[in-house]
Amino acid sequence: MRSFSEYNPIVIAVWFLSVTGIAMFCNYPLLMVISLVGAVAFFVMRNGLSHGKTHIFFWVLFLILALANPLVSHNGKTVLFVMNHNPVTLEATLYGLNSAAMIIGVLYWLRSFTQIMTSEKLLYITGALSPKLSLVLSMALRFVPLFGRQSAKINAAQTAMGLYRDDNIIDDIKGKSRVFSVMVTWALENGIITADSMEARGFGTGRRTQMRRFRFAAADIAFLLTELGLLGITCAAVGTKSLSFVFYPSITAKAPDMLGVLGLISYGLMILMPMILELVVNLKWKYLRSAV
Amino acid sequence: MLLIRNEKLRNAVRIAVPFFIIPTISILGALVFDGKRHILIALAVAVLSLVLFAAGFEKKSTGTRRMVIVAVMTALCFAGRFIPFLKPVAALTIITGLYLGGEAGFLVGSLSAVLSNFYFGQGPWTAFQMLAWGLIGLFACMLSKQLLGSRILLLLYGALAGLGYSFFMDIWTVLWYNEEFSIKLYAAALVSAIPYTVSYAVSNVLFLYLLAPPFGEKLRRIKVKYGV
Amino acid sequence: MEILAVSGLTFTYPQCAEPAVSNISFSIERGEFAVLCGATGSGKSTLLRMLKRELTPLGEKNGSVSFGGVELSQLPDRRSASAIGFVMQKPEQQVVTDKVWHELAFGLENLGTSPDEISRRIAEMASYFGIGDWYDRDVAELSGGQKQLLNLASILVMQPELLILDEPTAQLDPIAAADFISTLRRLCSDLSITIIMAEHRLEDVVPLCDKLLVMDKGQLIANSKPSEVISELKERPDILCGMPAAARLYAELSGSGSSPLTVREGRDFIEKGYNNTTRGLPQALYEHSDSAAMEFSDVFFRYSREGKDILDGLSFTVYEKEIFCILGGNGSGKTTALSAAAGLLKPYSGRIKVFGKRLKDYKNRSLYRECLAMLPQDVQTVFLKSTVHQELDECHADITELPYDISHLMDKHPYDLSGGEQQLTALAKVLASKPKLLLLDEPTKGLDAGAKLNIIGVLRKLKEKGVTVVIVTHDVEFAAVCADRCAMFFGGRIVSTGEPNEFFSRNSFYTTAVSRMTRGYYDNAVTIDDAVKLCSLNGRKEKPCS
Ligand SMILES: Nc1ncnc2c1ncn2[C@@H]1O[C@H](COP(=O)(O)OP(=O)(O)OP(=O)(O)O)[C@@H](O)[C@H]1O
Ligand SMILES: Nc1ncnc2c1ncn2[C@@H]1O[C@H](COP(=O)(O)OP(=O)(O)OP(=O)(O)O)[C@@H](O)[C@H]1O
Ligand SMILES: [Mg+2]
Ligand SMILES: [Mg+2]
Repeated sequence: MRSFSEYNPIVIAVWFLSVTGIAMFCNYPLLMVISLVGAVAFFVMRNGLSHGKTHIFFWVLFLILALANPLVSHNGKTVLFVMNHNPVTLEATLYGLNSAAMIIGVLYWLRSFTQIMTSEKLLYITGALSPKLSLVLSMALRFVPLFGRQSAKINAAQTAMGLYRDDNIIDDIKGKSRVFSVMVTWALENGIITADSMEARGFGTGRRTQMRRFRFAAADIAFLLTELGLLGITCAAVGTKSLSFVFYPSITAKAPDMLGVLGLISYGLMILMPMILELVVNLKWKYLRSAV
Repeated sequence: MLLIRNEKLRNAVRIAVPFFIIPTISILGALVFDGKRHILIALAVAVLSLVLFAAGFEKKSTGTRRMVIVAVMTALCFAGRFIPFLKPVAALTIITGLYLGGEAGFLVGSLSAVLSNFYFGQGPWTAFQMLAWGLIGLFACMLSKQLLGSRILLLLYGALAGLGYSFFMDIWTVLWYNEEFSIKLYAAALVSAIPYTVSYAVSNVLFLYLLAPPFGEKLRRIKVKYGV
Repeated sequence: MEILAVSGLTFTYPQCAEPAVSNISFSIERGEFAVLCGATGSGKSTLLRMLKRELTPLGEKNGSVSFGGVELSQLPDRRSASAIGFVMQKPEQQVVTDKVWHELAFGLENLGTSPDEISRRIAEMASYFGIGDWYDRDVAELSGGQKQLLNLASILVMQPELLILDEPTAQLDPIAAADFISTLRRLCSDLSITIIMAEHRLEDVVPLCDKLLVMDKGQLIANSKPSEVISELKERPDILCGMPAAARLYAELSGSGSSPLTVREGRDFIEKGYNNTTRGLPQALYEHSDSAAMEFSDVFFRYSREGKDILDGLSFTVYEKEIFCILGGNGSGKTTALSAAAGLLKPYSGRIKVFGKRLKDYKNRSLYRECLAMLPQDVQTVFLKSTVHQELDECHADITELPYDISHLMDKHPYDLSGGEQQLTALAKVLASKPKLLLLDEPTKGLDAGAKLNIIGVLRKLKEKGVTVVIVTHDVEFAAVCADRCAMFFGGRIVSTGEPNEFFSRNSFYTTAVSRMTRGYYDNAVTIDDAVKLCSLNGRKEKPCS
C-alpha cells in the first residue's frame, strides 16, 4: 500500500493538472471555495503546522489581490461607495474576491506539487517526451550543487594562497569575481570532459532507452481511471453552462442543475482522493501494527 | 526542427512559429472562444511552441559537447537566480545565444526557467517564462553580428530584453487574474511591476557589461579547441 | 589472439611543435593485463586516449590502431562504445548523472538495451561490487574510493572486451588501491577482460601484470614481461626508481637471476642471499625543536549541524622546521583537518595555534602573508590565468629557482597540461609565496617516482631554510623517505605518531613494502636505503654448493 506521493509520477501529474486546471479555467465561486479549502487542507495535511511564512505570504497576497480589482475596475451596477471620483462596485469586489480565491488556491496546489514532484519524477515525465532534454535538465541539476562546492573550494584555495591581500570590500569583490571566473573556466572544461565520458559510453549512437524506475501498478491505473472519470463529469458540468455565474453588469446566478451538482461533487471527490488514500494507509498501518 | 531536411525551410519554420503561427492561433482563438478564455489560448500557445521546439531538438543530432555546455550554462543561470535583486539569467542566455547559436540560447533560457522554478515554484507561468527567456536568447543569436560588433548595442539589447520580459510576463498576470485582457489592469500591472522591470533591465546591462568579455574569451577557447 | 594492435602511432596536439606520442607500436593479447608507466608528461594519457575512438583528441594523427583486427575508425559506433571501456583519471570526471543507479544504467540506456535487461545487468554488477547499499544515493555523497568503484562498475555493465584505465588509484588510500587492483586482476581472470592501465604506483600492480609498457618522452622504450623489463632497464635509474621495492633492491644489490617482484619474493631474495647478524641500523635520534609551529588541541568540527563530527577531538603538535606527514584512509578527514589549520574552516570547539598565536588573532588576513600557504588537493582550483607563464608571473614565481623544469610548458593553458604537470605548476605557485609553514595536500598524486624524488629534494631544502612542512599523503613510500615524523589519522583524530622507522614497523597495512619484506629478519628497516645498507653490512650468505 503506497501513499499518494509514491504513485507513478504521471498519475500524480495528471491529478495536479486536473485539479489546478479546473480551478484556473472556471470561475464558479463554489468551485473556487472547494479548491481553496482543499488546497489548504492538502498542504496542511502534508506539512503540519510548519511553513508559517508561506501561509502569511499567501494570505497577504490574497488580501492584495482581492482589493486590487474593485480599485481598478469600475464595472458593475451596484455602487458601494465612491473613492477619488471612481465608483467602487459590489460586483467588482466579489469578482476580485473570487479571483483571489482562485489564485491563492492554485498557488497552494502548486506549492504541494513542487514538494511532491521531486526532480527525479519530473525527469521521468520529461524523459517520456524528450529523453535528450530530460538528460540536459538532469545534468544541469547535478551541476548546480557541484558548482557551489567547487566555488567554495576555489575560494578556499585562493585565500590560502594569499590572494586576498587586504581586508576590505573592494578586495572582496575583486576576489569574488576572480573566483567566479575560475569557476566558469572549470565548469566549461569539466563539461567537455563529461561530454567525452558520455560519448565514450555510447551516447548519441542511436535510440536511447530509459530504465524505468516507476512502474504502472494496478493501483496506479485504478487511481488514474477514477480520477479521469471524475474529471470528465466536472468538465461536462463546467463546459455546458450548468455552472454559470455572471458577475457583470450585475450578479446573476442560476441554481446549478443536476449535472452542475454532480460536477461539484465530482470535483470535491477528486480533491479528496489523495487524502482518502492517506487515511486508508494510516489506518492499515495501525491495524497491522496492532495485529503484530 | 521536426525532421525538416531542407535548411532554408527549417529556418523559415523556426521564424514562422514564434512570429506568425502563434499570433494567428491567438487571434483565431480569441474570436472562437468569445474572448473569455484568453488565458487558455495563451497557455496553449506557449506550451505548443515549446513542444515544437523540444520535438525539433530531439530529432536533430546536436553534438554532445554542445549539449553539456548548454547544461553548464543552465546551471550557472539557476545559481544566478539566488543573487538578491540582480538576475543574471537573461544576460547569460544572451551570451549563450551570441556564441553558441540560437538553439543553445533558447534552450538555456527556457531550461533555466523550468529548473529554477523547482525552487521558486512551478506553475503555468513557467511556460511563459520559458518562452520569454528562450526568445531573448534566440533573438540575440539572430542579431549576433551587430551585437558582437558593438558593445553599446549589446547593452541596449540587454536593457530592451529586460523591459520586454517584464511586459510579456505582465500579459500573463493580467490574463490569469481577469480572464479577459484589460488595458487598465495591464497598465496597473505594469506600474506595480516597475521596480522589477528596472531591476531586470539594470541587471541585464550590468551583467552583460561585466560578463560578456570574459565569457566570450572562454567560450571561444572551447569552440576552437574542442570544436563545439 | 591479438585484441589490440598499434603500429607506428604518432600524435601531435594542435599548436605544439613536438609530438606527444611518436612512432609507437605494440600489441596486446586477449585476456592480458598490461600496465603502462613512464614519467609525468611522457604521453601515457594521450596514448590511452588514442585507443578509444570517442576520446581521441583533436590533432594530427598518423599510424594505425586496430581492435580485434578492425581499424579503430572502421568500427561500428555501438561496438566501439561498448567493447572498449575507458575509466578516467579523476573519479569525479567520469560521472554524468546524479544518482548511482542512473550512472550504472547510463551506458546501457545509450545502447538501447531493453529496461529489463538493464535491470538484470545492473543488479548483477551491483552485487559483484557490493554497491547494493548505496544504489539509491546521490553520486555526490560518495567517497573518492566509492566513486572510483562506481566508475569501474558503470563501464563493466556494458561488458567491454578491452578495459582502459588512466591512473585509477591516484586518489585512493593504500588499502583501497590494493583492493581496486586485485578487483581488476579478478576481472581479468574471471571474465577474461583485457586490461591496459596507466599507473605511477607500481608496487602492487607490477607483480600482477602480464606485460609492462614503459614510455619515455613520447616513445615506447620497453614492452615485455615485468621481470624482463627490469633487467632491460638496469641502466635507467630514473625509471627503475618507480618499480616495486623488491626489484629495486635486487637492482641496487646487482642480484642475479630473474628479478623478484612481490613482497614474498623480495623476502626470499633477502633471506636466501643475505645474513642477519646485524639486525638493525644505528638509529640517529631525531630531536624536534622546542617551539611548536602548529598546535591543535581538542578540535571538533562538523560540516552541518546534523552531520557527524569529522574532526573529533583532534590534538597534535607540529614543531618548527620539521616535515610532518599525515596518513589515513579515504574520507577520514585529513583534508578537513588541513583546511582547519589554514583557517578556512572554523571548528566549533577547540583551539588551533600557528607559531604560538591563535588563528583568530591573525587579523586582516596576515596569516596568509608570508606565514602560511596551502596546496589544495584539487590543484585546478589554483589556476587563474590562461597560460602557465601568466600564472607564474601573477604570483612572482621564479622558475629558475625551481628544482624541476617546467620551462617547456610556459605557453600552455593550465588545463592542457598533463595531471602531473598541473601538480608541479601548482606547487611552484604555492612555493612562490615563501611561507614559513607549508601545508601540502597530496602533493605527489599523479607524479612519477623521479618527480617525487625531486619534490623530496625541494622539501629538504625548505627545511634547511627553516620552513615547517605538513603533508597529507597516501603515498607510504614517499612519507617513509621524507618525513621526520608521521601520523596516522583515523576516526577524526590522530591515533598514533612516530618517527618513520618505528611508525612503519608497527603498522601492518599502512607500511612500506620494505618493512613488510624485512619484518622479523631485520629491525626497523623501512626504506630501500635501509634495506640496502643492512644487506651490504651483513654480507652475502655463502652459496650452498650446487
Ligand atoms: N590538450 C592538450 N593540448 C596540448 N598539449 C597537451 C594536451 N594534453 C596534454 N598535452 C601535452 O602532451 C604531453 C603528454 O601529456 P599526457 O597527458 O599524455 O602525459 P601523461 O604521461 O599522461 O602524464 P601524467 O603522468 O602526468 O598524467 C604533455 O607534455 C602535455 O603538456
Ligand atoms: N564540503 C563538505 N560538506 C560536507 N561533508 C564533507 C565536505 N567535505 C568533506 N566532507 C566529508 O567529510 C569527510 C572527510 O572528508 P575529507 O575530504 O577531509 O577526507 P580526506 O581524509 O581528505 O579523504 P581523501 O583521502 O579521499 O582526500 C568525508 O566523509 C566527506 O564526505
Ligand atoms: Mg595522464
Ligand atoms: Mg583529502
